[in-house]
Amino acid sequence: MMNLRLQAMRRRVRDHEHAVRRQPVAPDVLRECEEQHLSWPRRAARLVRRMCEAEVPLIEAEDRIVFTRTVPKVPPIYSPQQWRELTAGRTLHELGPISNICADWGMVLSQGLLGRREVAQAARRRLSDDSAAMEFLAAALETIDAVLGLARRYAEAALAAGRAELAEILQRVPARPPRTFHEALQSLRLLHAAVWLGGHYHVGLGRFDQYMWPYLDADLRARRLDEARAEELLAEFFISLNRDSDLYPGVQQGDNGQSLMLGGATRDGASGVNPLTAMALRVARDVAMIDPKINLRISKDTDLELLALAAELTAQGLGFPQYSNDDVVIPALVAHGYDLEDARDYTVAACWEFIVAGKGMEVVNIGAVSMPAAVDVAIRAGLAAGAGFEAILDRAEAEMGRQLEAVVSRYRRLLLPPAPYYSVLMDGCLESGRDLSQGLKYSNFGVHGACSASAADALAAVRKTVFVDRSVAPAELIQAMDANFAGHDSLRRALLDAPKVGNHDDQADDMLVALFDRFASACEAAGDNGRGGIVRPGSGSAMYYVWLAAGHPGMCEPVTGTTADGRRAAEYFSANLAPSPGVRVRGPLSVLQSFSKLDYRRVCNGGPITLELSDALFGDVEALRKVALLVRSFAASGCQQLQLNTINVAKLQEAKRHPGRHRNLIVRVWGWSGYFCELEEPYQDHVIARHAFGM
Amino acid sequence: MQTGIVFDIREFSIHDGPNLRTTVFLKGCPLRCAWCHNPEGLSPQPQVIDTPSGTRTSGQPYTSAELARLLNRQAGLLRAGQGGVTFSGGEPLLQAAFVAEVLDQLDRLHVVLDTSGFGDEASFHGLAERVDLVYFDLKLMDPAMHRRCTGQDNRIVLRNLDQLAGLATPCVIRVPLVPGVTDTEDNLAAIARAAAGVPHLVRVDLLTYNRAAGGKYAACGMEFHPQWDESQAVRANTAVFEAAGLPVTVH
Repeated sequence: MMNLRLQAMRRRVRDHEHAVRRQPVAPDVLRECEEQHLSWPRRAARLVRRMCEAEVPLIEAEDRIVFTRTVPKVPPIYSPQQWRELTAGRTLHELGPISNICADWGMVLSQGLLGRREVAQAARRRLSDDSAAMEFLAAALETIDAVLGLARRYAEAALAAGRAELAEILQRVPARPPRTFHEALQSLRLLHAAVWLGGHYHVGLGRFDQYMWPYLDADLRARRLDEARAEELLAEFFISLNRDSDLYPGVQQGDNGQSLMLGGATRDGASGVNPLTAMALRVARDVAMIDPKINLRISKDTDLELLALAAELTAQGLGFPQYSNDDVVIPALVAHGYDLEDARDYTVAACWEFIVAGKGMEVVNIGAVSMPAAVDVAIRAGLAAGAGFEAILDRAEAEMGRQLEAVVSRYRRLLLPPAPYYSVLMDGCLESGRDLSQGLKYSNFGVHGACSASAADALAAVRKTVFVDRSVAPAELIQAMDANFAGHDSLRRALLDAPKVGNHDDQADDMLVALFDRFASACEAAGDNGRGGIVRPGSGSAMYYVWLAAGHPGMCEPVTGTTADGRRAAEYFSANLAPSPGVRVRGPLSVLQSFSKLDYRRVCNGGPITLELSDALFGDVEALRKVALLVRSFAASGCQQLQLNTINVAKLQEAKRHPGRHRNLIVRVWGWSGYFCELEEPYQDHVIARHAFGM
Repeated sequence: MQTGIVFDIREFSIHDGPNLRTTVFLKGCPLRCAWCHNPEGLSPQPQVIDTPSGTRTSGQPYTSAELARLLNRQAGLLRAGQGGVTFSGGEPLLQAAFVAEVLDQLDRLHVVLDTSGFGDEASFHGLAERVDLVYFDLKLMDPAMHRRCTGQDNRIVLRNLDQLAGLATPCVIRVPLVPGVTDTEDNLAAIARAAAGVPHLVRVDLLTYNRAAGGKYAACGMEFHPQWDESQAVRANTAVFEAAGLPVTVH
């Protein structure tokens, strides 16, 4: 499928040849905002407009899906002084601008920006005596016109470059609904890229095969397009998503949230798998770049052939697809107040957090509860006070509750900046005259229950050595931990030999279950999040597997030193749901069984079981089918989410030594795939140290 | 109740049978194949293994009930993966009574017996008749060569193959390809003739020599002395099997 033209295109993008067109300075938006005394919504709109205007269209001879960002930096709309005053006493989420949500791309495509414009105009007539609404709608209209203007200039540039056919497409979309698959892809490229121009990030792509299939289906039926040509267009679209992604903010390069969902149920509960589902998997496999990050919704009934195709991506080492289990996720969302139709329509935010496109202004990653820290405090205080084991568990719950309250209370003061353009792309904002930042149908928060395996292992080790076997005295344990186990080898050995999560051993798994149960109770007890939503507990770690062990500037969560599972200070935790580093486990089935014990109805913010497979596995012809069956057994086990990575430790070590020779080597990091050589060392080392299941 | 010695239980084992499987490696083998890549399985007794990451004891006793309980706990997942359990080794026939007792207690699991074919005839018959699929090794058809390379006579192996031919249990014949030793035209042709006499043969698997074969010897306090050129490519001669009308795969 990757013909020479596409291969050359991919190489040019990887080499960032287009980066020479990037402009050194961003437009000065602040000055006019001040001179005209613009309101915040109008400033946000003006930013989008000036950013669109500053873009210099780039039409490369080969490209049939265009847009290349040439203004790398997003300029400020307030002076630092004004910004401080504006945000005083409030909490900004990460960088400030709304991020990590998903637009209703299907709706926007089908209406076109002119259709959205009409909706805004109708609302203006209806809401003419609501000044806030009028202000918002004027801002939204300014952004619609700005993006239309950008498309118009791209059309002119295409015409000037002798690309009449491309010009015709750009004259059509994103203004009007696409007539073809090609137009739909071009429309999405512009609409999506424009979100980033306003300073937003982690802009998800949602259920791509659901909203795109009608356009492709119509082309195939009318024989305007055959499958091969469709795949080529799709490959171009996927490659285009990698053009500007080095400019997108994230904790690490590659952490950019361009997640794309495939498969799963439709809103009425039927199977939504269509021919585009498999096509997108094939194309992602062949393009083999880090964007878009592919997610696949499955159930225990998902076709084995589709799973085997997905396994081909895993075999290539792309680190995706990440699998979400409809059988578990949908009931959990319903249990948390989502309408059944919306629950069936879920997608993921940047990494794994379940959201509903177009209907959620959710902040799914307000921070983490450090389970190791909570357990460590509970163990030390409990043992010092001569408490029993149950009392230690109770202290751990109280401690998690305290950490949670610290995070949630900050976020009860959350300040979301107005987002007029993003609002155009959501359900109901234009209709009601209310900016996205005012909230949507779903306004929940999500918190990571981070580094759970180590915390459960610590509890299991204390229970066994101190309370059951009575082989370790409480004071001795505290002393050994204070000494980071120096001179306490046999005690540390006893802790390491205690039951561990990942072996389907109830002595450890019960601790994991108890921790998540109590974490979920703490989240329920937190009540309203200040925005009419709840706080959803999750099981992911994000980057906290490094931060909670080693610390990070500006981090609010506590750092934990030596832990009672035998882990020395500063050693990293496992990412998401995975046995602790160095723990000997029997194999992936036991890992699945350990994590299948969690009550995912209560723990629904997402966070995958993270399994590494040795790439030596894929030497066998049957390996793909076997990986597919492993994924099916994951679904049958009642687990919620799974990410599989394929690694070759020797190759990773070699890549660390000679990055230049391995610049295209991809690995899964915590909830996304990145280029190994572009990661900072701690993240590289963590991937190398993960336990890979062989044959 | 029988007790067995197990040196490994490996989940998601790729090479040991169809679909999603967990393989039980039983300790102890009567053969001493010169190319054996799993020296841990040779001695029937638990032994201390000295690996680069520390010492550990290889070989753990399980009662049949313990092992069955452990496997049954995964039955749901294994069935969802359309697979089951494989008994391998070492040589499972050496612990046939133990294996039989485990089989008695398994919860509707597909079972593969992975055997060298060298073992007591009644034991072989008893297990082979009960399992769902037999993986049967054929290494060398020439008796002298077989004695030289495995330390044992192949008459017992061939008698068990005859027994297998009389059973309804489907089987796969597996041939380790060792360069210049087992991959000769004559040997493979003789194996093809023998395989053709087995009515429920599913296919023949040719297993190419693994150059990491000697990797575990030092850890077991043993030395590996290949009498063949390890750098030489094996001849995966599928033609002789295809000519005999036998499905054949190369791994």
